[in-house]
Amino acid sequence: MSQVVVETFSLTKRYGDFTALDDLSISINKGQILGFIGPNGAGKTTTIKILVGLAKPTAGSAMIDGIDCFKKSREVKRLVGYMPDTFGSYDNMRVREYLDFFGAAFGIPWRKRGKRISEVLDVTNASYMKDLFVESLSHGMKQRIGIARTLLHDPQVLILDEPANGLDPQARIEMRELLLNLADMGKTLIVTSHILPELSRICDQVAIITKGKLRAYGSLEEIMRDVSQKRTIEIQMTCLEDGKKAEAELSNHHELVSEISLSEAESIVRFKTDVSDKKLAVILAHLIDIRLGVVQFKELQTDLEDAFLSVTREAVPATKSEPAGTAE
Amino acid sequence: MNAIIQRELIDVFRTRKSFAMQMLLAVLFAGMVILRWPSEAQVDLSGLNAQQVFRVFGYGMLAVLILMSPAFPATSVVREKNKGTLALLFNSPIPPWRIYLGKLIGVSGFLLLLLIMSLPAATACLMMGGISLWNEMVPLYGVLGLLTIQYAILGLWVSSQSTSADGALRTTYLLILGLAILSLLPYLLFQGKDSLVTDLSWWLRSFSPIPAVMEILGHGFVGSQGIDIEPGAPGRFFIASGVLTLGLAIHSLTRFNHKLFDKARDSGAVVNEMGVGTQIVRRLYFLVDPQRRSTGILPFVNPVLIKEFRCRKFGRSHWLLRFICLCAITSLILAYIATAGTLDWGTNVIGGIMILLQAGLIVLFTPSLAAGLICGEIESQGWQLLQMTPLSARKIVVGKLLSVIWTMMLVLCATLPGYLVMGWILPEKRPQIYQVLICLIWAALFSVLVSAAISSLYKKTAAATATAYAVLSSVCIGTLFFWLFRGAPFGEQFVEAVLCINPIAAAMQVIGTPGFVNYDLLSTNGWIMGIGCSLSLAILVVQTYRLTRPN
Repeated sequence: MSQVVVETFSLTKRYGDFTALDDLSISINKGQILGFIGPNGAGKTTTIKILVGLAKPTAGSAMIDGIDCFKKSREVKRLVGYMPDTFGSYDNMRVREYLDFFGAAFGIPWRKRGKRISEVLDVTNASYMKDLFVESLSHGMKQRIGIARTLLHDPQVLILDEPANGLDPQARIEMRELLLNLADMGKTLIVTSHILPELSRICDQVAIITKGKLRAYGSLEEIMRDVSQKRTIEIQMTCLEDGKKAEAELSNHHELVSEISLSEAESIVRFKTDVSDKKLAVILAHLIDIRLGVVQFKELQTDLEDAFLSVTREAVPATKSEPAGTAE
Repeated sequence: MNAIIQRELIDVFRTRKSFAMQMLLAVLFAGMVILRWPSEAQVDLSGLNAQQVFRVFGYGMLAVLILMSPAFPATSVVREKNKGTLALLFNSPIPPWRIYLGKLIGVSGFLLLLLIMSLPAATACLMMGGISLWNEMVPLYGVLGLLTIQYAILGLWVSSQSTSADGALRTTYLLILGLAILSLLPYLLFQGKDSLVTDLSWWLRSFSPIPAVMEILGHGFVGSQGIDIEPGAPGRFFIASGVLTLGLAIHSLTRFNHKLFDKARDSGAVVNEMGVGTQIVRRLYFLVDPQRRSTGILPFVNPVLIKEFRCRKFGRSHWLLRFICLCAITSLILAYIATAGTLDWGTNVIGGIMILLQAGLIVLFTPSLAAGLICGEIESQGWQLLQMTPLSARKIVVGKLLSVIWTMMLVLCATLPGYLVMGWILPEKRPQIYQVLICLIWAALFSVLVSAAISSLYKKTAAATATAYAVLSSVCIGTLFFWLFRGAPFGEQFVEAVLCINPIAAAMQVIGTPGFVNYDLLSTNGWIMGIGCSLSLAILVVQTYRLTRPN
């Protein structure tokens, strides 16, 4: 049975009348990567701040490895490596000196510190930066050093706020590989990001939060299933005329399909349906039977972006009703 | 242009702080006039009352300009550059010279307004008689007006070359102190001789507004040691300052373009990877090379202390070594003057100068070191990271305070050899020297703790630095302003009460500096310093603890 490392129980945070976080309950197993996503001001940073002991919950609790994040915040600090969305640099300090300071602050013995700094710089592919001044680093370099800093005291849990923010494509790929390597090393990761395609490639679990409420939570497949009840089918026709005929033919089966549209420039017909694959095969056979030129008949894959948009769109009018797709 | 002036000047006028400052000055000026306004239907033919008030105005405005003027221009360019808004301004159709002019009008406008606010009270002095419009009032306001513009241009010049707002503020204060006070010292030492050095020091003296203001207010003979000083200080000040101001403005304008942004990143070169010859030369020059690979923070050493030393340039070993050398040379010169008797100064005068030098160093260095201790960390986003470490609030406070205290101990050592020589030559003076040293330690401790407490109350380093400078200058230098006017218009008892808060005045009383011997300041000052230090420490500890807590 997999070991639960991070858990929150009905976590709530209020600032006066404003509820920043409302009844959040999630759990993450060891070695998993949780993608924590939501629009700006959704409550992600508030959740993170409670987890790292920088904010006090109004109600509920958060545990890391069975230790209360607020009541025993000092112990939790040794278990968690936190990289905020801002770097936090010091003037006139070289990267090695910067890491040496944080290593000393975490109580890493002097004799082991130098080796540890070299290790984390290796892991983050940042060894060549060791003599550079921290304030002169580029954004991408700072992100790497930020991760190196969080790894220094070998924490069990890494909480990374927007680690891919501002990175170029190459650096983003490298960051993705780095995060997967860390998960392979047994680290548990909580990653927030607005770059959803990146997140969908690395996350075992996804939590979507809006206006302080958890709207969807689970594996990527579970969320897709929850949010996309209807599949989108795309039919590529040989010409526009056939496209128009196909659109008219599908309209006759309105009990099976909905939201039919024709892209005249591409001769593509799209529709939504919740019928089984067998019935889809019947529809395709019918179009071929009536001698329409079908080049391609395929289902459009729903990605995390679609899921996110679907959940957040639903959340706007659903503020007073039950949220869609809440896992717990 | 209108948009820049609107933002730089009009918005400043609308703030509560500026309103409070204007009201305070208006009340102060009105109070001064009311204090000396004839209460009976008699006319003071000598105009003594008016002259007394006018002198206070003159010196008061001069002190206000020296203390306050760096706060506005020094941060004006560098803050915008770091925020990125200056790049947006340069990307607009506004030409650079109009941006510069807009900023200049913005930063000097507020100070000129304060100057104008004193005009009604000065006019009242004129009405009381004894003041000449063309010989006193107009030249005084001319000097102060030019000074405002000069300091604004100087501040903008420094700001356009700096990388941080607090660094710019520090440099501007240092330059203004150098121009206003240190420029007077060479002439004080070499006057009366017929040499090129004397001529040069004579012109150097012209950069300071103090001789000009003193001559206008009828104090031109002070410090002349009986030697006739050629009149015309205001004219020379206009020439010297005018040329300097014009030069700085032209240089700033030539830099007010892409040069502000066109800087390469530091390559991060380390001496360990340079050739052996280069390493040897650098070792000889620096003793401790700032570009060497540093060793890790040793066990049992507070990491915050080392971090503080490493992350400020002045904290690096080579700077400290240079500073120690400078201190040793300064104190040796003073000791030489005291023992060789090159000048007819007694130990009490030499002691007074050494104390004033010490006060200058304390007031100059402490805010720049201590006023960013907490808010600098918050501003650089490092505080959140510090909170994520297991370091306790106590360890953070101790580390940060020690980093300043170590440096201040070096500052205190600046004049120590001078006192040692004095104590060796005159053993009967030793008890007084001990008391002076205690006063100076109080002054340094008070400066450190007050600056650190201010740092914990602010979010921006530049604002905290300016406040700390204002507070310490008011306590250590501002109170001496009342002493200058002891007897008239301020009574001796009032002056003694004001001087009680000044540890420097207490030290000068102990050493027997002329003009201070009649006061009894030592014990009261000790109590006030003790209470001030305890209060500041309490604020610092509580604020730091509060900041390390969640939320």
